[in-house]
Amino acid sequence: MDELTSVFVQESREQLAEMEEGLLRLEQDPDDRDNLNGIFRAAHTIKGGSGVVECSFIEAFTHDVENLLDSLRNGAIGVTPDLATLLLACCDHMGALLDLLAAGEPAPGAGLQTHGDELTAALKKVLATIASADEVEIVQATGLAEQAPTVEVSGGGVVITDCWHISVRFGPNVLRGGMDPLSFIRFLSSLGEIIGVATVTDAIPPAAEMDPESCYLGFEIQLQTRATKADIERVFDFVRDECDLRILPPHSKLADYLRHIEELPEDSMRLGEILVRCGAVTQAEMDAALNEQIRGTPGEEGAGPPQIGEILVGKEVVYEEVVEAAAVKQAQIKEKKAKEARLVRVQADKLDQLIDLVGELVIAGASANLLALRSKQSDLVEATSVLSRLVEDIRDSALQLRMVQIGETFSRFNRLVRDVSKELGKEIELNISGAETELDKSVVEKIGDPLMHLVRNSLDHGIEPAEVRAAQGKPVCGQVYLNAFHDSGNVVIQVSDDGGGLNRERIKAKAIERGLIQATQTLTDSEIVNLIFEPGFSTVEKVSNLSGRGVGMDVVRRNIEALRGIVEVDSVEGEGTTFTIRLPLTLAIIDGFLVGVGKAAYVIPLDTVVECIEHHDGESGRNILNLRGEVLPFIRLRDAFEVPGEAPPRESIVVVQFGGHRAGIVVDQLMGEFQTVIKPLGVMFRHLRGIGGSTILGSGEVALILDVAALIQSVSHQESNRLIGTGRAQAGTPKSLVSEKD
Amino acid sequence: MKTIFLVDDSATILLSIASILTKAGYAVEKAPNAEEALRKFQSGTKVDLLITDLNMPGMNGIELIREVRKLPDYKFMPILFLTTESQQSRKQEAKEAGATGWIVKPATADELLNTIKLVVR
Repeated sequence: MDELTSVFVQESREQLAEMEEGLLRLEQDPDDRDNLNGIFRAAHTIKGGSGVVECSFIEAFTHDVENLLDSLRNGAIGVTPDLATLLLACCDHMGALLDLLAAGEPAPGAGLQTHGDELTAALKKVLATIASADEVEIVQATGLAEQAPTVEVSGGGVVITDCWHISVRFGPNVLRGGMDPLSFIRFLSSLGEIIGVATVTDAIPPAAEMDPESCYLGFEIQLQTRATKADIERVFDFVRDECDLRILPPHSKLADYLRHIEELPEDSMRLGEILVRCGAVTQAEMDAALNEQIRGTPGEEGAGPPQIGEILVGKEVVYEEVVEAAAVKQAQIKEKKAKEARLVRVQADKLDQLIDLVGELVIAGASANLLALRSKQSDLVEATSVLSRLVEDIRDSALQLRMVQIGETFSRFNRLVRDVSKELGKEIELNISGAETELDKSVVEKIGDPLMHLVRNSLDHGIEPAEVRAAQGKPVCGQVYLNAFHDSGNVVIQVSDDGGGLNRERIKAKAIERGLIQATQTLTDSEIVNLIFEPGFSTVEKVSNLSGRGVGMDVVRRNIEALRGIVEVDSVEGEGTTFTIRLPLTLAIIDGFLVGVGKAAYVIPLDTVVECIEHHDGESGRNILNLRGEVLPFIRLRDAFEVPGEAPPRESIVVVQFGGHRAGIVVDQLMGEFQTVIKPLGVMFRHLRGIGGSTILGSGEVALILDVAALIQSVSHQESNRLIGTGRAQAGTPKSLVSEKD
Repeated sequence: MKTIFLVDDSATILLSIASILTKAGYAVEKAPNAEEALRKFQSGTKVDLLITDLNMPGMNGIELIREVRKLPDYKFMPILFLTTESQQSRKQEAKEAGATGWIVKPATADELLNTIKLVVR
């Protein structure tokens, strides 16, 4: 896909989103003209762009959509729910066509084409209802269209030998309109050869009355060209309304010249001279013309100037006027002061590159800082500390560049809620707040799916059917809330509903049935409700079209945890449910806890660290310990990564928690908290489990960032294998991570 | 080298026109909206031709033309606006605001360059 197409696709997706949003608003407020204009403009921009990138299937389809929107805008038809649904379907189709273009397909497949044809037919049907109003316009337009060529035919056609005569008197405002009269001559010379030019200065007033900004000039031009009359005329398109233009084809009849002479504003005697001088007519012809003029003058003077252009260029002047007058009558709509978009469009990879470089800068800065400290030169230390403070500022600003508002992601759900609530026969309103909350672009991109699942869950399982709500004395219209806000370095996104809430007893029963908990186990309220995130858990037996299609809440949790986030549910039975997602502001930087094993350093994400305890070896041969009465499996990093050397007499255990599981990580040294830039692992190391990335320390050494989730999983695996006596890692456990040493 | 200033809210149009103009040897400046363009003009940027879309969110092209014409430096600068067959009505309005001429979208590269050749001095 070339750059232009990719810009088009991206822009059109944005326009489509705006269109969709606008259409949804339109249903609420059909009379909002600004909104209608915005919708029309979006469709118009897409159509215009599709023409530029020469994507005919998008252009053709969007053209019909635009036509319908135009009729809406002109008030020829009104907004109905059916129409809005049709237009929304059109939006979807346009989105599908864009996907096609993005994928580089030359044309839509049969299915999509049929769907598009159906939509087009539906659009045309709506448009047909207003055909009666349109008919007049069409008749008028075709009438004019037929007229134009006849003028051209009678006017000239292609000429090879003789000269055209062009006579032009500029209006006073030509200069003020930014046009240079000389540019016409220059441009005409590119059409052919200019045989002669005479400048007509008769209109110039005495110096005292002259306005230096007004134009008083005219030209008589002899042009030899193969161009058609229309081509020549087009040159003067921009000034046609304000200037007096006559184009006489070669070999024009004497009568034409005569009429021309009569119609010119200047004294005809003088003009005759000009004509002869520039070769339009011969002296003999001129004499004859003058004679004829003298004979015909009395009658024609009575007729006066109205004859101007009536025969030669007349028809076209009329054509212009009719069209313009009709057009002027059309509603002239003032554009709304929409959001002022002071934006600079930047390729995302350029931004990523910048972040990468800033990451390098942070690392290099840290290393310079370290060296300065070692050198014990106070001036140098001071200089590097100023430098590192600036580097931190740069890092923060660079990361800020990647921040985008979550609003766009949120507003996508308007459509979902509308469609789904219709499908379910429930009345549901979506309330959005905190749409301006910013978070990292890469997070925004990935949070869409989990959010979608949570919202669908609320719509499907959360909000009760209308009759149930009415019976409980709740308002019939259910509410779903999407909220986002910043909270101490995290972004919190909440999806809540005022539905039935979660049924503890059913969850518990289900969990026992599925073997997730023991019947005898005592669980806190929050532990019970959060069981719904366990793999394979689903309380609704009936699989609906929306939720419960096998993708459980565990997938939601996994997706969110992959973003280093957490999700929790809080529910009051009968009153509603709130899902809270907590995400880091960015994926590029991590607050880490630095630990050492032998000479190697590792970073444990700080948000997974629960506590650090001292490890007394020799408690048992098994890798579990008793932590205040709880069983804590642990893993020796030294063993897991086969770090050479003997363990020191005093080791420490970092207790980590992830996804409700706890485990210990045995390390040699605790080196404290530190904030660092995450550098992804190279392709070669992608498959390694237990390592999530790397970073470079101030000393220049590489530290590996531990993937706590994978470590915990392997540690539990290992322990359970041990317990059931296999004593060996399963085939699925990679040796690269855990080498078993019994 | 002649400098042409482009204003259009559509990035696709901006990019496509700019690439044609650059290839044809013009220097190109771009703005995605009228407000930003006007600020550039108010700061006195050197421009030989302004090409603007009419239908833009915020300040529209006609208002932009009117404002730019008020600035003494650009009193006689050629201004072209982008329009479509369906927007004929706005031609007159734009001309009255001080536009020199127009380019009908979609235009071929030749049509575009010819029009520019006509108005740029």
